[in-house]
Amino acid sequence: MPIPWEALIPSGLMITMFGVTGFLANLSFRAQNQGKPPRYHLERWDEIMIARDYRLTGHNRGQTSDPVIPSATDSK
Amino acid sequence: PQELPKVAELGTTSAPLKSAAFFIGSHCKEYNEDFMLCKAENRDPGHCLKEGRRVTRCATELITKMRENCLAQFEAHWGCLEQNNQQYYRCRAEERPLNSCVFEKLGLTKVIPGTPQGQKQINEIGSPVLARQQK
Repeated sequence: MPIPWEALIPSGLMITMFGVTGFLANLSFRAQNQGKPPRYHLERWDEIMIARDYRLTGHNRGQTSDPVIPSATDSK
Repeated sequence: PQELPKVAELGTTSAPLKSAAFFIGSHCKEYNEDFMLCKAENRDPGHCLKEGRRVTRCATELITKMRENCLAQFEAHWGCLEQNNQQYYRCRAEERPLNSCVFEKLGLTKVIPGTPQGQKQINEIGSPVLARQQK
């Protein structure tokens, strides 16, 4: 018996549409976070550390493991 | 102010700092405790500058040593933490080589202060309750 392929077109369409939405959403989140998954369940501590990262690197998710700040050498 | 000694601030951001956190804790314990006790007396920002400078110098020294000796494992571990919302339990596979490298080269172990007596530390349990799908 031939399979009813016309009836599967809407299903295929729905699956494709959800898939594309999810893909584009993931892409947009990663683009905002320099290719990493976004951070969640952030506490006050995490927000302060992220602000510190921004001051050190210019981006909320930028990371560096330099021991000292190359440009500034002021004491507290 | 010009009369205070100049100490370069720590340039490490949050992920490498979190990766090295327990090692900083065991290496710089006395300086950190001095600073915290001093701050407990008076929360004024200008109060504990000397202890603060010591803390910064100790941490800077440790990060430099870790980078010299264990750069690859260190970078791998904090790279993993960055991908995983900076949660330790999701990066045990990278943590083990880092811990063994730091133990060999610098002699520091990761000690978790709150573990009940007789129980293994969370990072040493073979099959933890809270874990990733892939170990």
